[in-house]
Amino acid sequence: MTPLLEARGLTKSYGHLRANDDVSFSIFPGEIVGIVGENGAGKSTLVKMLGGAIAPDSGDVYIAGERIAMRSPADAKQAGISLVHQHFKLIDSLTIEENLVLGRPELRHGILDFKALRPGFENVARDLGTRLPFDARVSTLSVGGRQQVELVRALFHEPRLLILDEPTAVLPPTERDRLLRFIRLLKERGMATILISHKLDDLYDCCDRAVVMRAGRVVGASDLRPDDRAQLVRLIVGAELPPPDTRHGSRGAPLVTVKDLVVHRDNGTVAVDRGSFDLHAGEIVGLCGVEGNGQTELMHALAGMRPIQSGEIVYALEREPGVKRDAAALRQVGIAHIPEDRLHHGAVPSFSLTMNWLLRKLSRPGLVSFGFLRRLAAAKATWEAIRANDVRASGPRARMSDLSGGNQQKFVIARELGDDAAVILAGHPTRGLDIRTVATIRNRLVAERAKGVAILLLSADLAEVWDLADRVMVMARGKLRGPVPVGETSLAEIGHWMTAP
Amino acid sequence: MIRMRVVRLGLILGFAALVPSLFVLLAGQNPWRVFTTLLLYALGPQGRSEVLVHAIPLTLIGLGVAFALRAGLFNIGGDGQLIAGAVLSVFFAPYFAGSGIAGLVAFLMFGFAGGAALGAFVGYLRERFNASEIIVTIMLNYVAVQMVSYLIRGPMEDPLRFFPRSYAIPADAVLPVIVQGTRLHAGLIVALLMVVLFAVVQRQTVLGFQSSVVGANPGAAAYAGFRVKMLTIIVMAISGGLAGLAGAVEVGGIYQRIEDNMGEGFGLAAIAVALIARLEAAAIPFAACLFGIFFAGAGALQRELALPFPLVWIVEATVIFAVSALHWAMPSRKADA
Repeated sequence: MTPLLEARGLTKSYGHLRANDDVSFSIFPGEIVGIVGENGAGKSTLVKMLGGAIAPDSGDVYIAGERIAMRSPADAKQAGISLVHQHFKLIDSLTIEENLVLGRPELRHGILDFKALRPGFENVARDLGTRLPFDARVSTLSVGGRQQVELVRALFHEPRLLILDEPTAVLPPTERDRLLRFIRLLKERGMATILISHKLDDLYDCCDRAVVMRAGRVVGASDLRPDDRAQLVRLIVGAELPPPDTRHGSRGAPLVTVKDLVVHRDNGTVAVDRGSFDLHAGEIVGLCGVEGNGQTELMHALAGMRPIQSGEIVYALEREPGVKRDAAALRQVGIAHIPEDRLHHGAVPSFSLTMNWLLRKLSRPGLVSFGFLRRLAAAKATWEAIRANDVRASGPRARMSDLSGGNQQKFVIARELGDDAAVILAGHPTRGLDIRTVATIRNRLVAERAKGVAILLLSADLAEVWDLADRVMVMARGKLRGPVPVGETSLAEIGHWMTAP
Repeated sequence: MIRMRVVRLGLILGFAALVPSLFVLLAGQNPWRVFTTLLLYALGPQGRSEVLVHAIPLTLIGLGVAFALRAGLFNIGGDGQLIAGAVLSVFFAPYFAGSGIAGLVAFLMFGFAGGAALGAFVGYLRERFNASEIIVTIMLNYVAVQMVSYLIRGPMEDPLRFFPRSYAIPADAVLPVIVQGTRLHAGLIVALLMVVLFAVVQRQTVLGFQSSVVGANPGAAAYAGFRVKMLTIIVMAISGGLAGLAGAVEVGGIYQRIEDNMGEGFGLAAIAVALIARLEAAAIPFAACLFGIFFAGAGALQRELALPFPLVWIVEATVIFAVSALHWAMPSRKADA
């Protein structure tokens, strides 16, 4: 049988970096193949070449045994390949229908003919098991909704091969399950799918086999037998993962107490609706919820980045409660915050690491004197921190944007956590990262808990919450439920709370 | 890649040469002669100093524009802030008579204060009422022009009343000429000092760092806990202050009083100066000299070739386009990342 798609010896370099080095890969009709690897292993480069978004330096792509010149996304489309990018390519201010038509302009007398395309879009959406509000603006959609629009767009051309780049990274569990079910449905119809994911569960739940990449090369394959899991991890990481830390400290006094807290969004709607809970020393409280239900605003209010409408937050360590409470003042009394969006809040991507180090360190003695930055001292502190925390960077003068996502996150965490952190507000600390970095960061949080730090862990990954948290609470439409001890609830109950009206 | 860059560079240079030539031809003149006349004048003994004379206010206001832009703020109000600085400094100037160099320094500081007050007002409006600083600064330009027009016909009127202009400033507040036989005055030193000060503040101080974080990533500024509202007001004050200083320098070095239409057009040209210099302190004086050539050369073209004045603006606009497009052709530092 001829493979649907075969890539032979694909090579792509960026400067000195070999992003893909002699990569060969094939997929047959009706197959679901997972591609796994750490950040920077070359997965995205490979699928971008298969999707025609970038051209290989050398190597060939064959479709059904025929060599295809893959020079642009149009060539890929012609060959029946559809690629859904990790970062959605939608225009927020346009409606769903307008976004879909953009990908396939059907003209009648020189005017876009919306009517002709509508039934086709509706058919694809029905297939997906969803009813998209075609006249609504994309900006009103959840992340899952946006992905469905991308899928409708990708499937509208009736491709033979669908490539999904990290489709589950941002999805809540229920929507993730629905997506994987849908991919299996496509398989029954003979469609081939390439699924890129950091989450091994995605592969085991959905794929026929997996290809492992490391440092730009294909280093192995797995047919995903459940008892092979440890070996697959070794293949991905190239070594053993650090064992999970399970230490517990003793639970201490409450360090943060929240009472009847009300927080608004920028547009004045209620984000957090009379929430109350407490956070004790030496415990991790998991915060779950479907994206957009007020968790972000709650975290920002706790970190001093968003004003409180009513109610109160009491920090046990604050000397003068409530006086001059901004993000910098709170950090000084030990309230550390790992922001959920490291590039929008956690760092200035165009600045050097040293300047990014100073971002949260301006009140530190030794780095500033009389309003002047002590750049040398800052560079030295940065250098020591990136060495101690295994941040892969050329040095303190490297730009933040030149680091991989995992290294950016390690940098942000290294800057934020120190001897003086008493409370950690962690927003999606492991989202989108590879398994080795995830393991490192989780162990770090557990180690902080063992030292008596109070941790609020916002995570979309319920398995992560279950592994790490002592108590768990759920936010839905601004209302808080819990926290309840993890042992006294179940994944099903939490899932129900997350989606209950 | 290299070939593409050469092609692009050729396109830009061709555009920069062709468009103005076309308009010069339409005006019935020889483009080559216009070009040589402009350059010969600008490099000639008299033109050289005139280019620098115009580059002084352009540098000062350009620094102000750059400081605001680095914080993500568009200060289009250079013209109005220049006037505010000139008015405040001239208002207090009579009190400095006989106080020597200290009087001169105070005179310049009042110029800075005048522009800073106007700039801070804009920053306050932005933070308090969410008013666009672009609109507000443009509107305040008109207010300032009308205000000066009233002042020099009323409260600050020249006692002789021949022309609509203010009384003269005392000799102590006059910036001395530094090259005999020209108009080039000590404002040049003031401008260069400000360039150095700008670079130090931008690179070495908490204020410069915080304001550039606000400009590059407001979310990070919120996360870091910077007091963004206060920063906005301070940055706008400094930005306006530099334009106000330019006003005092123009009065002290050239006019020695306030006149109608004083310093007109510097505010807008300074925006182009800041952008062309990519907001880099060290590049701003050079960009200012480029525009100084147009300001100083416009007169020469009018005198020698009877070229209509607006034509110079067309040439100026083409240069702005061309220089802004240069990064399209030039390899950037990030290209290989």
